[in-house]
Amino acid sequence: MNKNKTYPGYFAAGALIIYFVFFFLPGLIGVGYSFTDWSAYSDQLHYVGFENFKTVFSSDENYMKIITNTLSFTFITTVLKNVIGLILALLLTKSIKLLNMHRGIVFMPSVLSTLIIGMIFKSILDPKAGLLNSFFRSVGLEVLAKKWLVSSELAFGSVMAVDIWRGVGYIMTILIAGILSISSDYYEAAAIDGAGGWQKFRYITFPLILPTLATTTVLNVIYGLKVFDMVYALTNGGPGKATTEVLYTAVFKKFGTGQYAVGTALSSVMFVIMIFVGIYMIRVMTRNEVVE
Amino acid sequence: MKKSLVASFLSLTMILGMLSGCGQQASTASAQAPVADEATAEEAPAVAETAETADTADTKEDVTITFMASQDWIQDAEMELGEKFTEETGIKVDYQIVPSDQYESLLMTKINSGECTDIFGGQSSKFSIVTQFDVEKNAVDLSGESWAGNVEPAAAEELSAGGKLYGQPIQDVSACWAVAYNIKMFDELGLSIPTNYKEFCDVCEKIKAAGIIPIYECVSDGWHHVCWTEAAVAATKADSGYPDALNENKATFEGNKELTTMFSQLKEMADKGYMGDNYMSNQYADAPASIASGEYAMVLYNQGLGAEVNAVDPSFDVDNIGYFVNPLCDNQALNVNYCGPSRFIFSGSKNIDAAKKYLEFMASDESLAYMTENVGKFNQLPYTNAPSAYSKVVQDFYDRYPEKIAVFQASVKYYNPAWMDIGADMSAMFLGEMTPEEVLKDIDKLRAEQAAAASDPAWK
Repeated sequence: MNKNKTYPGYFAAGALIIYFVFFFLPGLIGVGYSFTDWSAYSDQLHYVGFENFKTVFSSDENYMKIITNTLSFTFITTVLKNVIGLILALLLTKSIKLLNMHRGIVFMPSVLSTLIIGMIFKSILDPKAGLLNSFFRSVGLEVLAKKWLVSSELAFGSVMAVDIWRGVGYIMTILIAGILSISSDYYEAAAIDGAGGWQKFRYITFPLILPTLATTTVLNVIYGLKVFDMVYALTNGGPGKATTEVLYTAVFKKFGTGQYAVGTALSSVMFVIMIFVGIYMIRVMTRNEVVE
Repeated sequence: MKKSLVASFLSLTMILGMLSGCGQQASTASAQAPVADEATAEEAPAVAETAETADTADTKEDVTITFMASQDWIQDAEMELGEKFTEETGIKVDYQIVPSDQYESLLMTKINSGECTDIFGGQSSKFSIVTQFDVEKNAVDLSGESWAGNVEPAAAEELSAGGKLYGQPIQDVSACWAVAYNIKMFDELGLSIPTNYKEFCDVCEKIKAAGIIPIYECVSDGWHHVCWTEAAVAATKADSGYPDALNENKATFEGNKELTTMFSQLKEMADKGYMGDNYMSNQYADAPASIASGEYAMVLYNQGLGAEVNAVDPSFDVDNIGYFVNPLCDNQALNVNYCGPSRFIFSGSKNIDAAKKYLEFMASDESLAYMTENVGKFNQLPYTNAPSAYSKVVQDFYDRYPEKIAVFQASVKYYNPAWMDIGADMSAMFLGEMTPEEVLKDIDKLRAEQAAAASDPAWK
């Protein structure tokens, strides 16, 4: 390699300094604050050790439920968005009439504001006058008219369902791009060999879109761990104490009540979880990569 | 040659466009110097235009003040007065109304991050304005304002810290949360005003048997169902020293007989179906319409519901709504509270003078009269220069209960700031996730957290 043709290291200094000052340093300071009694009620700051983390992991508190909720939300929405997105992508890469219109309709929720979707669905899922329950009642399916957002059994599922509806079009679009990049030669060869639809999917489509699926998984996991607006607009963490509370709505509330230190401790716990999830995913994704 | 000519012309046009754009921006910026945020900056040309076309353009200010408040705190009448204020002064008012279940978190986040609106709405209380809002740091001292002396002393006390007035009442605080009922419906069913919890349950059973839902309750707003806890005045009646003992950390909510009864009865009301099936998703804003429809017979409301129901359905007589006190724990005392939604000017505001002018305008004789006339639930705003508009039904209600006891929001420290959290606990209680005893225990915990954060010596 000609060393003269590689850029010197100091060319990256600007970007590194900006990244360090505006991203890395605030994160580090945030972790530091989680070891103090930082609050809105006092100008004094004292080191309290792991006191805030003890609160977070205490059995008297709801924080473990909040962390579990966040992880469940991430796992379930990631799996379902990928599965439904893949099915839709397979359907919408066939020769059907008005193909682009169908793709457009499925993609449309992804471009709408999450908060607006949340507000619209709050109205649609209203147990008394909501569109969904009114529809069920009008067709004689009264038994299906449920308290979607206000019962402890259904609220979390309802929030996840709305989020899947919103996000599945985006995942579908990425997967369509992945499917269309597969050469038709493979399918022709398989057809000559007598392969059926399932076999073509199992042995051609699926293995070749795995890298794309890995990308959509990463996007979904990052979104799921950071979810805030959808939960905030639909239930604000309720009904009850923490039925649908996720990490960022809890942090927002802690900051709202001036308990900054517990809020930053919660963020720090999530930061650690994200690091582990991130390392694991990078390892899985790069396992079969060929180094050139 | 032709191409280079076109390119030169386009370049020249672009440069001129940029220069004129910069020039315009500069003039807007200079005219709009005290503007607080992006939204108001966008409105700048409109403000400038209004100012230019007005006759008294020279005396008018080219400023937009922002005012954030919870849903239901800013009435249509106030916004109409806001338009009049703009006509008179040129100062525009940008009302930012936030859903009530999200307001407290948003307000505290904005205050604590130092990026609050010029005026913010907040509940008054001599305790929480210090511990929660830290008004001495975050709000402007309004003691010297021309209207400050007109605020009723009891209401002013709840807005003062260190002998200085920091807020301006928005609503009628003479009104209390009482059970509002449909008089005609009660007469038709042969019902009389209950004087204890058992009689109240009997009334609910008879209403239910007639195919009507007894009580309209709206848990989804996060705060309304907590108003039922104003029956805690029964605990003060049983032991007048109880609020002080709570403030000195010598007593707890947990284990208190009256409070345990109060929460247990509330849960029982929900379980017996007195609140119908949809109390968890109902919304406060729909209460007048629900009473007007005849689907519900009662709702916990402040005085003035009659006018609000009449506004929804003009055939519903204003005086067809009567009131009786919240009968949980067999309470028969009037639950008075001089705390209520109030306006505060944020100390970090760039438009303090303009915000002060707005407050002065809202406290004028004309504005107070206009608010009283146009807002059904405002019978007597807490100003010496405000008119009184009590109807016979409301006056009868106040006369029926001579004993008055201050509610916990006014008498117990760290109760008001925990209001929404208590609401979440009660919501969990309705869903069967928490018992009344656990709710009380959690209130103690919530208060202790606030006290610890505020370094209250009684909790050390």
